[in-house]
Amino acid sequence: MTSIAIEGVSRAFGSVRAVREVSLLIGDGEFFTLLGPSGCGKTTLLRMIAGFAELDAGSISFGERRIDRLPPHRRNTGMVFQNYAIFPNLDVAGNVAYGLKARRVAGAEIARRVEEALKLVHLEGMDGRWPHQLSGGQLQRVAIARALVIEPEVLLLDEPLSNLDAQLRVEMRGEIRQLQQTLGITAIYVTHDQEEALAISDRIAVMRGGSLEQIGRPDEIYRRPATPFVAEFMGITNLLTGTVVESDGAGVVVRVGDAEFPLGGIAGTTGTPLTFCLRPEALRLLAPGEVPPDGWATLAATLARVEFLGALTRLELRLSDGTPLRAALLDRPVQGIGESDVLSLAYDTRRLVAFGPS
Amino acid sequence: MRLRLPRDPFPQAVTAAGFAFLGLFFVYPLYGVLSASFLDPSGAHATLANYAKVFASAFYRASFVNSLTIGVLATLVTVGLAVPIAFALARLPVPGKAALLALASLPLVLPSFVGAYALVLMLGRAGFVTKALQALGVPFTSIYGTPGIVLVYALTLYPYVLLPTLAGLKAIDVSLEEASQNLGASRWRAFWTVTFPLVVPALLSGALLVFIETLENFGVPFVLAEDKPILAVEAYKLFVGETDTNPASAGVLGVVLVTAAVLVLLVQRRYLARRRFSTAARSAPPLIAVARGWRLLAAGWSWGIVLLALVPFFAVVAISFLQFRGPVLYAQPSLDNFRDLLGRSTQPLVNTLLLSTLAALFAALLGVPIGYVLVRRRSALTAVLDMVATTPFAVAGTVLAIGLVVSFNAGWLVLTGGWLIMVIAYVVRKLPFSVRSASALLHQIDPSLEEASVNLGVSPVATFARLVVPMMLGGIVGGMVLTWVTVASELSSTVVLYSAPWQTLTVVMFQALEGEGPGVAAAAASVLILFTLLPLALIYRLLRRYEMSLL
Repeated sequence: MTSIAIEGVSRAFGSVRAVREVSLLIGDGEFFTLLGPSGCGKTTLLRMIAGFAELDAGSISFGERRIDRLPPHRRNTGMVFQNYAIFPNLDVAGNVAYGLKARRVAGAEIARRVEEALKLVHLEGMDGRWPHQLSGGQLQRVAIARALVIEPEVLLLDEPLSNLDAQLRVEMRGEIRQLQQTLGITAIYVTHDQEEALAISDRIAVMRGGSLEQIGRPDEIYRRPATPFVAEFMGITNLLTGTVVESDGAGVVVRVGDAEFPLGGIAGTTGTPLTFCLRPEALRLLAPGEVPPDGWATLAATLARVEFLGALTRLELRLSDGTPLRAALLDRPVQGIGESDVLSLAYDTRRLVAFGPS
Repeated sequence: MRLRLPRDPFPQAVTAAGFAFLGLFFVYPLYGVLSASFLDPSGAHATLANYAKVFASAFYRASFVNSLTIGVLATLVTVGLAVPIAFALARLPVPGKAALLALASLPLVLPSFVGAYALVLMLGRAGFVTKALQALGVPFTSIYGTPGIVLVYALTLYPYVLLPTLAGLKAIDVSLEEASQNLGASRWRAFWTVTFPLVVPALLSGALLVFIETLENFGVPFVLAEDKPILAVEAYKLFVGETDTNPASAGVLGVVLVTAAVLVLLVQRRYLARRRFSTAARSAPPLIAVARGWRLLAAGWSWGIVLLALVPFFAVVAISFLQFRGPVLYAQPSLDNFRDLLGRSTQPLVNTLLLSTLAALFAALLGVPIGYVLVRRRSALTAVLDMVATTPFAVAGTVLAIGLVVSFNAGWLVLTGGWLIMVIAYVVRKLPFSVRSASALLHQIDPSLEEASVNLGVSPVATFARLVVPMMLGGIVGGMVLTWVTVASELSSTVVLYSAPWQTLTVVMFQALEGEGPGVAAAAASVLILFTLLPLALIYRLLRRYEMSLL
């Protein structure tokens, strides 16, 4: 079992700095996700761990052993590629046995382990099939079996689900997570899909422009984003900027239009701008005369548009100065309201997240 | 397409081997030709006297003008023949397209000087078509000189324009034409403002290849030029001259020839080959519905040209089974020609088989790893290797051979007079094709397959040997067969390099052309055509499967 230490790793391609001084500690048996938009350096970082991209600076260690100087075929990582990279000239069993043969495992042992690995990914009896006879999901399973059968120290997954259709993607991500838990293997997963990252990970590192933006558990990343970038990348949010109108030891009050937002636990100078975020689903529609719970604040906004999405209803609103505000209501009837109505909404003030000046 | 594997010695080893081979057997011999052209008779001092002498001669100036004129004319005729066929194949309902395309690729591998010789048999002074025409009262004398050479070039080189233009037309996203029409352009206008400009780079790039081929070709002008001086032929005559050999003047002509061809090649490579517009068509554009008259014209033109180009080859095979008495042909079936060809000695046949096989083998052994490194491990160094390895295409076989003789007939490495020097010349000449076809195959293989293999613990070299080569194998074999076929009918460097025990079929044919009579030449031509068509027929499916180009 293996923990991974990445220390001060950098890489530039020409003038593009793909990875900038990234340091990470990934725990033994942890499911760790590198998340970010394309070009953020997440794939380069993964390929550095696999040995397919050179480091300009820094080091990578598995446990106590430094591995960044090892050639890729000596690193004992199991990698699942975005396009699966199933060898078209070998059948399923041949693909899964490939790494074992490279390790000169005895024939009978290979047969046993291949069978075991195929069972693990629910492909029993498919050993004689050829890659062109398999569906995308089956190819994915072969790729996973092939990576796991060599008993790698680390499992590396490079956007493995991006070529599958939506439903299969959800199904496979559950299976990958379960497999990783059962085997207790350390896994690093690269994706640009925030929902996938939230669903599957023990911890997530959000990357942007080659640097780490935030590292944390999925709920931390979602509920307490460290930067406006993370807040917006992790799903629809209201990113608001207003002026500090009150400030005391306990916190500040920020005004946007006529609405006032009390942000606790931070300091600020009256009259300065401050940016903060509030998730749409934190807002609740107040019925006329309804009193919000303790610790909640209210605001008034004009309804601009209603979007019915089934389980969810999205409201697009405007604050008095025209600033757009989004609210999401889960399974709530929204009859009786119409465009241009002024609505009263409430939210738990602890759901406000303030960002320092950037 | 690039694969990044830090600290892997494999690309360096291949690059070093490639540079060593090409440096020794390509660059150094060319340098030999160059320095011969700049040395005075004592061989000790540099001088421009050789150049002055050659350029003072009206005869050699004419050879320069003739070569260029024929090249330009042949290129123009080729484009005129090929572009309508390309368009018909891409966009018009022409029957038998697959067969048409397969037949249209054949002239690339059939020996062009055999075609030239067949033309002489038909339209030469004693040719049977000439005689028939004269019998009908047509005032036709013969095909020798510029018209004959241009005709042979056009009919054997038109695939160089046809294939890239066809590929270009098929790659055009039809929505561009639709957009043009949607914006108000007529179909005709859409063609001239959108479709045609998009294929022009591919077309020009093919046309320049034709021009280069005409410059470096030796066999066709040798057969057809008669007294008209042509650079490649005069360089040969100066070098092996019966009365006195003149390597200095041969060197001058060689330098002029290579410089012109390489300049054109550089333009083709640096400028045009990269300017191919790819418009990411998801599927080939649909056929255009045209009136019956146009359909007939398209089918007639396409099939007409393609078959016409093959007529000389059919004719020569047919003639080889007829009886010759001296130079006169009789309409009597006979195997005498083959008896004459093989009766005295089967050694040339054996030599051809042996040398072609060795050349094909070594060209693949060197070309496939180089192609791999050029595609997957690009670097500043491999870019240079790419240029050096693909340049032999533009260097006339005679000039390369002269360079090899000049460089390796004395000193620490003596190769002249043996088989090895011939194989080396063939490998150098076929390396561009070998490298290019290997690169093309690799572009079809996803590099992440190799990463997966390395990730699973197989070293990069072992991955290349055990995964990449097996996946390319069909294509490599196809490429080897194509190399084999073209080497078997190689003439231009063979005539300079052969020694008595290493005569090949092309040499026998060459000598027969000079003296021994047309019967033996026709039989040799027949055998060469058989050697070309039989292997191609055997691997036809393979070539189709790997979408291999004969270019």
